[in-house]
Amino acid sequence: MKKEEASRINCSMLLQHINQAVCFVGRVSKVHPSGKTFTAVDGEGKTVTVELNCCLEEELSGVVEVIGLVSNKGVLMAATYNLLREDRGTPFDLELYNEALKVIHDFPQHYPFEAAVSG
Amino acid sequence: MWNQGGYSESGMVGGYTQSPGGFASPGLSQGEKKGRTRSTQIIPCTVSQLMSASQADEAFKVGEVEVNQVTIVGIIRSTDKSMTYIQYRVDDMTGAPMDVKQWVDTEDPSVDSTVLPPGTYVKVSGNLRSFQNHRSMVAFCIRPLEDMNEITSHMLEVVQAHMALSKPQNTLGGGGGGMTAGSVSKPVIGGMGGSYAGASDMTNNGLSPNQNQVLSLIRGCPEPQGISIQDLKHRLGGMSLPMIKQAVEFLSNEGHIFSTIDEDHFKSTDND
Repeated sequence: MKKEEASRINCSMLLQHINQAVCFVGRVSKVHPSGKTFTAVDGEGKTVTVELNCCLEEELSGVVEVIGLVSNKGVLMAATYNLLREDRGTPFDLELYNEALKVIHDFPQHYPFEAAVSG
Repeated sequence: MWNQGGYSESGMVGGYTQSPGGFASPGLSQGEKKGRTRSTQIIPCTVSQLMSASQADEAFKVGEVEVNQVTIVGIIRSTDKSMTYIQYRVDDMTGAPMDVKQWVDTEDPSVDSTVLPPGTYVKVSGNLRSFQNHRSMVAFCIRPLEDMNEITSHMLEVVQAHMALSKPQNTLGGGGGGMTAGSVSKPVIGGMGGSYAGASDMTNNGLSPNQNQVLSLIRGCPEPQGISIQDLKHRLGGMSLPMIKQAVEFLSNEGHIFSTIDEDHFKSTDND
């Protein structure tokens, strides 16, 4: 799959990105016993359900960055994910990341999420 | 700071080095081009900005901002090692991953030429290149992130740098050389304290419409003792006294105005 841009969003922005590729960062909350789905909490304390296309092989915990499509029910259909390591001293500040999200969405001209036509 | 004297491209291949990840202060190399002098700033960017940058000769521009040496932060999606270089594809979610080439110094055994594995988050410092319409970067430093909060700080630095460098010179008020771009009402300090107030009311200089109105009136006052809060209230019929006081407090904290004969009289710090 040729992936292009994936807008960085939090839970509040899910429904504005239905059928679009997004990048969600949050802390893993609960993993379903089947390993096919889990919930994650964003910097505002809101929860999203993430569905994987394959089962989790190992226990998932900590801060995860998920890239996928938003279903029309607001579920994040994950294409890929990676963990943001917190084992090197400083924990990841999710609230601060949330503030940064607001900044980049307020100034899309300075943080574009698509390759605009060059001048 | 970081934009003085350029950044040497030798001896920086691979490994961790002191990366100047910060943004350059405005008003330095803008419009000071002597012949073919290349800009000596290093600008934090997104991959999308680099891909859509306009090109004139050897010079690239993101909007009005000239970019040459840049930093990006992203995750390695693939690697390809050859005898003389390592090729990475670095993804920062703003578009297709960027090709990043890092030359391997085959002569020097002390230089680490270990390939960083896919899935590693890195900060890449290097030069933007275009060859046969294909954009890529040649890196002089690729550093794996230890603190993932650098992802957040890079996002903020990109917006800050491009906003500051895009501003026309004559609206940079206040003290010389400092960053006045896009000041938000309440600064974010760690995870505590204020929150970002949103940019919906912001005008070009980062002040809300109310703050701008109050500042204009204060600036326009020729008296040595400045203008009083009472005068401001008279002139700004539509603004309540608490709102005026709030604007005055903000402007004072940001250094745009100062109090004179007493706590109710203010003058502007700008030399108009």
